[in-house]
Amino acid sequence: MAEADIAASDIVETVPSALIILDRNLIIKSANRAFYQTFRTSAEETEGCLIYSLGNRQWDIPALRNLLESVIPHRASVEGFEVEHNFPAIGWRTMLVNARKIFRGGDHDGFILLAIEDVSEEREARKESKRNWQLTQSIVDTIRDPLVVLENDMTIVTASKAFLTMFGITEAETRGRRVSELGQHQWDVPALRHLMEKVLPENKPIESFEIEDVFPGLGRRVFNLNARKISQPGNHAHRMLLVFEDITDRKQRERDALSLTNEISHRIKNNLQIIVGLIAYESRWTAPTCVQGYQAMQARIGAIAQLYDLISQSSRGRTVAVDAYLREIAKAMSASLLGNASNIDIEVKAEPLEIDPDRAVPFGLLVNELVTNAIKHAFPNGHGHIVLSVEQVGDEIELAVADDGVGMKNKESDVAKPLEKRGANYVTIFVRQLGGTIVPVPVEAAGTIVRVRLPLLLIPGGAQPLAA
Amino acid sequence: MAVILVVEDDALIRMVAEMMIQDWGHDTLTASDQDEALSILRSPQRIDALFTDIYLKTAVLGGCDLARQAIALRPGLRVLYTTGNSLTDKMRDLFVVGTHCLGKPYTQQQLHDSVDDMLSA
Repeated sequence: MAEADIAASDIVETVPSALIILDRNLIIKSANRAFYQTFRTSAEETEGCLIYSLGNRQWDIPALRNLLESVIPHRASVEGFEVEHNFPAIGWRTMLVNARKIFRGGDHDGFILLAIEDVSEEREARKESKRNWQLTQSIVDTIRDPLVVLENDMTIVTASKAFLTMFGITEAETRGRRVSELGQHQWDVPALRHLMEKVLPENKPIESFEIEDVFPGLGRRVFNLNARKISQPGNHAHRMLLVFEDITDRKQRERDALSLTNEISHRIKNNLQIIVGLIAYESRWTAPTCVQGYQAMQARIGAIAQLYDLISQSSRGRTVAVDAYLREIAKAMSASLLGNASNIDIEVKAEPLEIDPDRAVPFGLLVNELVTNAIKHAFPNGHGHIVLSVEQVGDEIELAVADDGVGMKNKESDVAKPLEKRGANYVTIFVRQLGGTIVPVPVEAAGTIVRVRLPLLLIPGGAQPLAA
Repeated sequence: MAVILVVEDDALIRMVAEMMIQDWGHDTLTASDQDEALSILRSPQRIDALFTDIYLKTAVLGGCDLARQAIALRPGLRVLYTTGNSLTDKMRDLFVVGTHCLGKPYTQQQLHDSVDDMLSA
């Protein structure tokens, strides 16, 4: 028996929970080390004391009285009895109390063993977590766009108010279900299914994933979806935050604007076609010496129409990207090279520079003129190489059009004059309009290069979007 | 010299195109929409090539549709498209294989080169 007592007292001393033993009159018979440590007291102050009188009556707690006086007498044990109290020595605490009646041989009154566990931190953490959750939920609910958090298996963890409104469902209907299963399965559409089954499981962030479909009850809708992985510490599975932005109206406005632009462009080009046709018609009755002039006029009208198309393709907000624009011009001119000239190739070497849209047309016309000259005069054999380049030199843009053709010395007299010394031709007109200068280049025996310097972008802070 | 069917819904542009093509000694037939063009294509009339606008009246891709039907009716027919719109991938996908499209406004010289190219292909 004595040995068993020693073993029991050893166990009691090593248990991390605070333990006390009370007799039937609620007098403390003994307590363990954990108890003294937790409540900052000692065996001398504790043993033989009525539990309620302990430490300035700080244990005189109504909840504890209820446990000891009303519950324990009728039951052999009580588990998980929670006591919240402000203890003078240790402050506000939540204690979890387990109680068990112990009987020894011949002793009918028995003792009460109380195991007291301080769960304050755990309870506080749980409260904090609940407060955080409520805060998160209230932030989520203020977001105008429907938003949903998905589990790794694409089931819904939580959804914002806007999401519930859009789907016409309650929060309870979302939990643990897939988006495709919501409501009457009206969200089970191919575009969304593709996103859930193929794109999201890759666990990569998604920017502006556009889905367009007919959603029963909502009609045709376009959504812009953004998804972000939410990592949870200690958990390898990732949750996904998925935001639905309804861009149906914006998309429709964009489409209307585009179709209007196309319609206007179509009409303008048809009208220009009529003008070109009328010039062609006029040239039938013109002296043969003037026909070339009429033909050049037709070509320039064609170039202007084409340049407008290319400008719209190269535009970056309020400015035009010179590099992209040059490439488009080269592509268009290469595509128009037929028959005899089809062995001429046009290469572009361009730095990423910008010009203002007001200068984009004369710039394009200048390039058109220089490349046309090269095609016309440099390659009597019908094959050759033209390089268009732009680079920044100081505070200017330098445009160079170079060919590997026959060179100025071998050309007819008018063209053979150095460019900067020639009178008013189209090249000098366009250069003047652009506020630029022609850089003198020595005339070589083979190949021709024309260099033009233009001021850089004239719009300050030009990269702002047009709509601003 | 060839016989070219010119399909264009704008009367003035149609006239101008006809005039340009006739200048090089070719003969022209004209139609202003798909139905008119198809009835000519179904006739025993000799036709070597079709020069068609893509946007025909209300049919946005009417010219593409017409060229496909024309090839089905006359397998050896040459085709050249023209359009006042920007060329899209959707249009290109509908083109008869080995054909080209001439953007508007085209000059007499460009049309001449494209027609020659089409006929010699």
